Amino acid sequence: DDEYTNAAASRKYSRDFLLTLREQCTDLPVGFEIGSDIADALMNIQASTPHISDREPF
Amino acid sequence: RTPAQHQPHPLEHSWTFWFDSPAAKAKQTAWGSSLRPIHTFSTVEDFWGLYNNIHHPSKLVTGADFYCFKHKIEPKWEDPVCANGGKWTISCSRGKVDAWWLYTLLAVIGEQFDYGDEICGAVVNVRAKQVKIAMWTKNASNQEAQMSIGRQWKEFLDYNETIGFIFHEEAKMMDRGAKDRYQV
Repeated sequence: DDEYTNAAASRKYSRDFLLTLREQCTDLPVGFEIGSDIADALMNIQASTPHISDREPF
Repeated sequence: RTPAQHQPHPLEHSWTFWFDSPAAKAKQTAWGSSLRPIHTFSTVEDFWGLYNNIHHPSKLVTGADFYCFKHKIEPKWEDPVCANGGKWTISCSRGKVDAWWLYTLLAVIGEQFDYGDEICGAVVNVRAKQVKIAMWTKNASNQEAQMSIGRQWKEFLDYNETIGFIFHEEAKMMDRGAKDRYQV
């Protein structure tokens, strides 16, 4: 098999490459939601975020 | 500017972050029932969007567990994909854990392991005396694959101490007494 096929078939990213995108992606993904019961324990974003839900935890 | 500059970079696999807080664990009736999926991501961009907004392991409360597992594999012994597997474990201080956890995640989602198919995911367990990072794999009896994963993981982290691999089925039977079946 040729190199192109292998590269396309398996998406490999080196650590160095992945790190180049770090600073650009500061927003939570679209649709992210988290229960208010664990938000404090896990998240380091501002409390006024729209992402925190007050629904009962399941 | 061309649209291509804003194309997200797809990962080979989708991955799910899971979290288990000590408060939730204290209330659970069965092991694993407080464990909760947080979000599933499939691009490099979404990985960073999550990672940049979540506490790094050194900031997690004592007793917390944070997981990154391939989508649809539950980080539990009972999951059919995990059942015949095991795990490599690294112990570290809070001073080192953030970098090692990040490098572990990047190696895993970036498909840097030769036996990447064997990998289920990684977990960081934050405890009072130490922090542990473990890599869960599918087929514990595939020694060649497990040794390769262990060696490569140490290289990626520049980790110089011996690490051990435990079979889940032995951990289940022996609680804390399970012995390393492989070491590297």
